[in-house]
Amino acid sequence: MSRILCVAEKPAIAKAVAQHLSGGAFQTNNVTGNRYVKNYQFDFNFGAPWGHCHVTMTSVLGHLTELEFGREYKSWLSCPPGALFEAPVHEAVSSDKTAIARNIQQQARQSKALFIWTDCDREGEHIGTEIRKQAKEGNARILVKRARFSNTERAHVLNAARTLIEIDDLQANAVAARIELDLRIGAAFTRLLTLQLKPLSSALEDTIVSYGSCQFPTLGFVVDRYLRVKNFKPETFWVIKVMLLREGIKVNFLWKRVHLFDRAAVTVMLERCLLAKKARVTKVNQKPTSKWRPLPLTTVDLQMMGSRFLRMDSQTIMKVAEALYTKGFISYPRTETDQFDKAIDLKKLVEKQLPDQNWGQYARGLLDGGFRTPRAGRHNDQAHPPIHPICWVSPTALSADEKKVYEFVVRRFLACCSEDAKGQSTEIEIEYGDETFHAKGLLVLERNYLDVYVYDKWESSQQLPSFQMSEQFEPTEAKIFDGKTTPPNYLTEPELIALMDANGIGTDATMAEHIAKIKDRHYVAVNTRGGGRSAVKELIPTQLGIALVEGYDNVFAGMPNNPSLSKPFLRKEMETRMREICAGSRIRQEVVQESLDMYREYFVHTNRRINALKDAIRKYLPN
Amino acid sequence: MADAQTQIAAQLQTTKALPVSPTWLHSFMSSSSTALQRNVPVSALIQTALFRVLASDFRDSLQTTNPSTLLPTDIFDPTVQERRLQGPIPVQVLDIEDIGTSLWGQVEAMERVERGEAVRGREIVRAVNVGDDDNEDGGGGGGPANDAAGPASENESHGPHRLIVQDAAGTRAVGIELKRVQGISVAKLAIGAKMVIRNATVARGMILLSPDCVKLLGGKIEGMDLAWKEGRKARLLARITEMQGEGQTG
Repeated sequence: MSRILCVAEKPAIAKAVAQHLSGGAFQTNNVTGNRYVKNYQFDFNFGAPWGHCHVTMTSVLGHLTELEFGREYKSWLSCPPGALFEAPVHEAVSSDKTAIARNIQQQARQSKALFIWTDCDREGEHIGTEIRKQAKEGNARILVKRARFSNTERAHVLNAARTLIEIDDLQANAVAARIELDLRIGAAFTRLLTLQLKPLSSALEDTIVSYGSCQFPTLGFVVDRYLRVKNFKPETFWVIKVMLLREGIKVNFLWKRVHLFDRAAVTVMLERCLLAKKARVTKVNQKPTSKWRPLPLTTVDLQMMGSRFLRMDSQTIMKVAEALYTKGFISYPRTETDQFDKAIDLKKLVEKQLPDQNWGQYARGLLDGGFRTPRAGRHNDQAHPPIHPICWVSPTALSADEKKVYEFVVRRFLACCSEDAKGQSTEIEIEYGDETFHAKGLLVLERNYLDVYVYDKWESSQQLPSFQMSEQFEPTEAKIFDGKTTPPNYLTEPELIALMDANGIGTDATMAEHIAKIKDRHYVAVNTRGGGRSAVKELIPTQLGIALVEGYDNVFAGMPNNPSLSKPFLRKEMETRMREICAGSRIRQEVVQESLDMYREYFVHTNRRINALKDAIRKYLPN
Repeated sequence: MADAQTQIAAQLQTTKALPVSPTWLHSFMSSSSTALQRNVPVSALIQTALFRVLASDFRDSLQTTNPSTLLPTDIFDPTVQERRLQGPIPVQVLDIEDIGTSLWGQVEAMERVERGEAVRGREIVRAVNVGDDDNEDGGGGGGPANDAAGPASENESHGPHRLIVQDAAGTRAVGIELKRVQGISVAKLAIGAKMVIRNATVARGMILLSPDCVKLLGGKIEGMDLAWKEGRKARLLARITEMQGEGQTG
């Protein structure tokens, strides 16, 4: 019987997979030098050509290796920071992972083949190549395959074990390119900033002024909004409101122009309404309307909706979702896909929710005829399905945070499989003088998905009396009201995620980390506005955060194409190039060289105009 | 030459309702003498003349003899509830303002352009809908008072617009774009651009502009347009400051 080595990305996945493949009968062995990683041994039949095999299932703990500069460049004063753009780098096993690497080498020695069970995303692909490298060191002739899976449900895992594929080196290359760029660019700028700025203020004494090509644009969004709030100037506007009392109902008509900022003009417009005396109904539109059920859940959506409705920050949500995935309760939580594959048996997944006290009844209703095929969004990462529950889990088996995230995932899934909410909308439009006004009414007839998706609100409005097309009437009241413009609110985390997503900063997998990073570095602080259930967490930049963005914007002021590092353009380009590597249209070295050249130019420029940054620091921080 | 001059004058009058002044036309003809010698067809000369008129100051290029082509001198009188302008009255634009957008919103939009963030194709996405009812095909209400978003597109002003126009005699009047007129926008309508007003209503001293009473001819007065653009942000800011002051004292 041949020996097969299987390696997962984390111990919990290794255990879950071992459990399914062995049917529960496996032997657990410790790995010398690491407390978390275990080797699980059992027999399994992988089907042709492998047949019945002895299996060792083990894992790594995320990335095995690190990219680092040679020893002579490690000290901060060893070289001018700019030299880090060219300094030689090498990949080495991280010091805390040597025992794991040794374990893989040893196991590989006796094995005919290595099956990689890392998560199926770009990072997972790269970790797969790191594992492959260690295994080949132990056994140069070892065969390498990869299992493709997106959740740890039994049938799915068994199927993955019997339909192995090749590792995708293109995706691994894209990650390698990203790692090299992040290391060189991050280290060069961080050293420059820290060395130059630290002496300027006592507030910077114990800190590192770090730079990251995602971190900075992320900070840029927060500062941009903060400045818009701070600089905002309220202005008065004027509105014409028309009211008609009919059948005992006060019908308020809204002005099509919404509001204007010229009082004299509004006064003339109102006078012409009053001169006309009668308003004429120009549109009576009564039609069925619906509120659409949500799309299948993606990572970005989970983070946005989660931080909005569950009062958890995006990083916590992702951690909890990871845990739920590792335990086999939900599918892989890092996905861009918002359409379900036709092959997935959705009704079966709905059926699993029947035992639940809160939504079991609703799931029953879906199976008894309420089920609808989910809407399909436009995104498909070709790797993972939308996030959905894999099985039902009793609330007592979950922590408080897990319960909230699990509930959200389930309710969202059931909502996807439901009918849209149905209603009847009425729209009346009138012409009065030269102006147009309208009134709208909504009557909700069937709540459908809203019954389970408690996060959406859609309620009937006041009902309108009846109007006839072309009928004329004299409004009861027509008046001018004034109001003031209000500043935007400070940025919230869900908004920030949406902005990062829209501007191509980071990937669904890394956004939460970037946000956590700018909090850790004390570039932004979290402030709670309001209280109780309506409390909102807002991101507000610190003095340091503002100083860095203003400083950088000044460094690059006047340059063509505004390459300021606080703006998303540069990073967006880099992100696009990563995708090109994955697609095979660009090669890694070329992309790395090109991006380094570009950033080196900006580095030289920053170095030359470092005074602009220093001035900003002096302006905002005590010396 | 005299014949050509008459022809040009007649043509500009009938097709564009522009009563070109004989003095201006005379100097135009003398500056075009080489063209005349080279036997350039009159139709081409008419085109050139029109182009020059549109780039001129109407106070120099049009005659003021026929009062029906001029604005009433008391046009601003706010006590007159309504009167009609028969016209056609050729006027030039001295100022344009978007009264559908707050001054601050306009300043912000200009600053985005200054920072290079609103260049086509590389605009920073600033407005996102987080869980708003964007998928609802009915219901909803009027616009919010929150004006922070500014105009939908950086290059299009929201409108309606308030214009200050001037006739050949130098009389000025305020025009309000009561109904959307194609071509009236802060970005598209230059200072010194020409238009002809016909059968328009004047209410409380303001000409109510709509597509059926305004014919845009285009053109601009280069120097004025440049100065206006350069000074626009400062003017907006000055007015904002002025308003804050009023707000505090009142």
